[in-house]
Amino acid sequence: MSSPTPEQERELYRLMALTRRLDQEAVALQRQGELTAFPPLTGQEAAQVGSAYALEAQDFAFPSYRELGVAIVRGIDPVEYLLAYRGDWNGGLYDPFAHGFGPIASSVGSHSLHAVGWAMGAALDGGGRAAIVYFGEGATSEGDVHEAMNFAGVFKAPIVFFVQNNQWAISVPLGRQTAGPIHRRAEGYGFPGLRIDGNDARGVYSTTAEALARARAGQGPTLIEALTYRVGAHSTADDPNRYRSPAEVDPWRAQDPMARLRQQLDDEAFCAGVEAENEARVAEIRARLVATPAPDPEEMFDFVYAEPPATLAAQREGLRQSLS
Amino acid sequence: MADYVFRLPDLAEGLEDAEIVEWRVKEGDRVELNQLLGEVQTSKAAVEMPSPRRGIVRKLHAAPGDLVKVGEPLVTFEVDDPGVVGRVPAEEAPPRRVHLRLKR
Amino acid sequence: MGRLGGVFRVTEGLQAEFGEQRVFDTPLAESGIVGTAIGLALAGWRPVCEIQFDGFSYPALDQVITNLAKYRGRTRGRASMPVTIRIPTGGGIGGPEHHGESPETYYAHTAGLKVVAPSGAAEAYRLLVASIRDPDPVIFLEPKSRYWTKESFDAEPGAEQLGRARIARPGEHATLIAWGAMAARCVQAAEAAAEDGVELEVIDCRTLVPLDLETIAGSVRRTGRAVVVHEAPLTAGFGAEISARLMETVFDDLKAPVLRVTGYDVPYPAAAVEKAYLPSLDRILTAVQQVLDHG
Repeated sequence: MSSPTPEQERELYRLMALTRRLDQEAVALQRQGELTAFPPLTGQEAAQVGSAYALEAQDFAFPSYRELGVAIVRGIDPVEYLLAYRGDWNGGLYDPFAHGFGPIASSVGSHSLHAVGWAMGAALDGGGRAAIVYFGEGATSEGDVHEAMNFAGVFKAPIVFFVQNNQWAISVPLGRQTAGPIHRRAEGYGFPGLRIDGNDARGVYSTTAEALARARAGQGPTLIEALTYRVGAHSTADDPNRYRSPAEVDPWRAQDPMARLRQQLDDEAFCAGVEAENEARVAEIRARLVATPAPDPEEMFDFVYAEPPATLAAQREGLRQSLS
Repeated sequence: MADYVFRLPDLAEGLEDAEIVEWRVKEGDRVELNQLLGEVQTSKAAVEMPSPRRGIVRKLHAAPGDLVKVGEPLVTFEVDDPGVVGRVPAEEAPPRRVHLRLKR
Repeated sequence: MGRLGGVFRVTEGLQAEFGEQRVFDTPLAESGIVGTAIGLALAGWRPVCEIQFDGFSYPALDQVITNLAKYRGRTRGRASMPVTIRIPTGGGIGGPEHHGESPETYYAHTAGLKVVAPSGAAEAYRLLVASIRDPDPVIFLEPKSRYWTKESFDAEPGAEQLGRARIARPGEHATLIAWGAMAARCVQAAEAAAEDGVELEVIDCRTLVPLDLETIAGSVRRTGRAVVVHEAPLTAGFGAEISARLMETVFDDLKAPVLRVTGYDVPYPAAAVEKAYLPSLDRILTAVQQVLDHG
């Protein structure tokens, strides 16, 4: 298992710090009316950044709807990502193929099958590429996730199933979601599954790197269950105090992934410098997002088909007239 | 595709056998339901044999002049296989009772 | 559909010819079949899925509606979904429950999909080639009661594009509009009508989305009378869509209301009585007489 180098550890911290700062800014933007809704990832920075950092350029990441950290690592323009949460375009405005990062998937669990299909396609092309798919412990209750893992096992697809077990599906706690250990389901599908400390950035990186290497080498899928905790709300429309007490959350705040890596780095000057950098970056992102004009309603007719059929063109004209 | 073996039926009470007079089809022919396969001679009469199936004649089990016992294979057909479920729909024209008249 | 060649033997010989990597069986999971096809399309492949029977396409509806139909849009045109989903459709083979459905409305109502309904062997060939070549997702509804009817035709695929209906039989007194197995049934009805001196024009729609309204409306403009025939149940069946569009476009040329002869608003019945459910020649001719008598 390859541990990150000191330089990689610094990069991990940089990316995690930017993720946290931007995640906080997105919540603020929502409270200020600039975004309509946002699902914060507070507490899950190591799970997302650590795993995504192990991806190579030719790999493909399939996010659910909370993976801002993965988007940042893959080089997605945060404005194009966040505008999905302003209601500008479902799925985001970025090009998934430019950075190997799929559209935001709001339908819980259904994207796991797309990731497996992509991996099967990559294998047909001769291997050397891996897919990683992100979803939470709640998604593991969906039938599509079962089908995805079963297909992956049968076809030995080059894929890593990265489950962020943050222990809450909105208000449903882990114990009400599933009765058995998630990582052990992999055995039933014929591939390895492991549970790791999702708040240990270095461990997440090493484990994911190894699983991705296995996949690229044609050795099939791996299930990684990263145990972490959703410190914040499910989304900006959620109030977790209605279903859990702050006292429950405290032990997990003490396991904060940022604080842990910061301690391991033991370089306050570096960390302070990163924070200053992030202030500037986040200010730039905010400015660009706020300045982006609202989308043109006619866009809803774009991209439905490769060539719009005549009936659709007529409807578009009808909308144009009603708006003018 | 599936095979169906058509055995010589009892064409008259207590018939034991029949002699092939002539075949009107040959192996490899596609036949429709009720299409005449050939003629056999029983102790009572010459009898025309309509095909019990729609399909392809795979094998004629006897030649003109041969005696075939009741229950022995006469013709093996390759019939349309409906697959896992259902049955192959009939090809014949559907019945109608409604007739039309144009308004003048 | 690999080694077995499919329960209707449609894919017989394909795996032997093209190999196990390109022609393969999957686990028994319809949602999984469509979901992985979406992923394969993202990886640059052109998947053709087979769902074994119409009634089994429903577990995949979520992947079709939520993802397949929307993926091009969700990625603002960067991702193409050249996926074809072949589904043996319709009744008339005496099958058990879930083996006689006509689900075209669910798909026609989902923006982003194309819905193709060939009427027989020759049409199935031409339209399947066009469907597979199409960059958009196609739901390909094969009329299973027509699987055994052999036709001779010129196997030149040509530049067939989806969205063109055909006049299966010309006529002047009224227009019958249908697709799938009912197109053949309408031709039979027209032949029966001809015995009575009534010349019916039969339109085989061929595709429901995109619909060739020009051909359909053009015919009804000439004859002034239309009857739509489909196996699917009456309420919200695609006949309602065609009827509405005809009303919007050729109202002044109509001499009678557009009538529909369809399955009843009941779950598809047991095999023993399915003949009573499916539009019969008499039911079609009765509707024709109604439009002939009108006004």
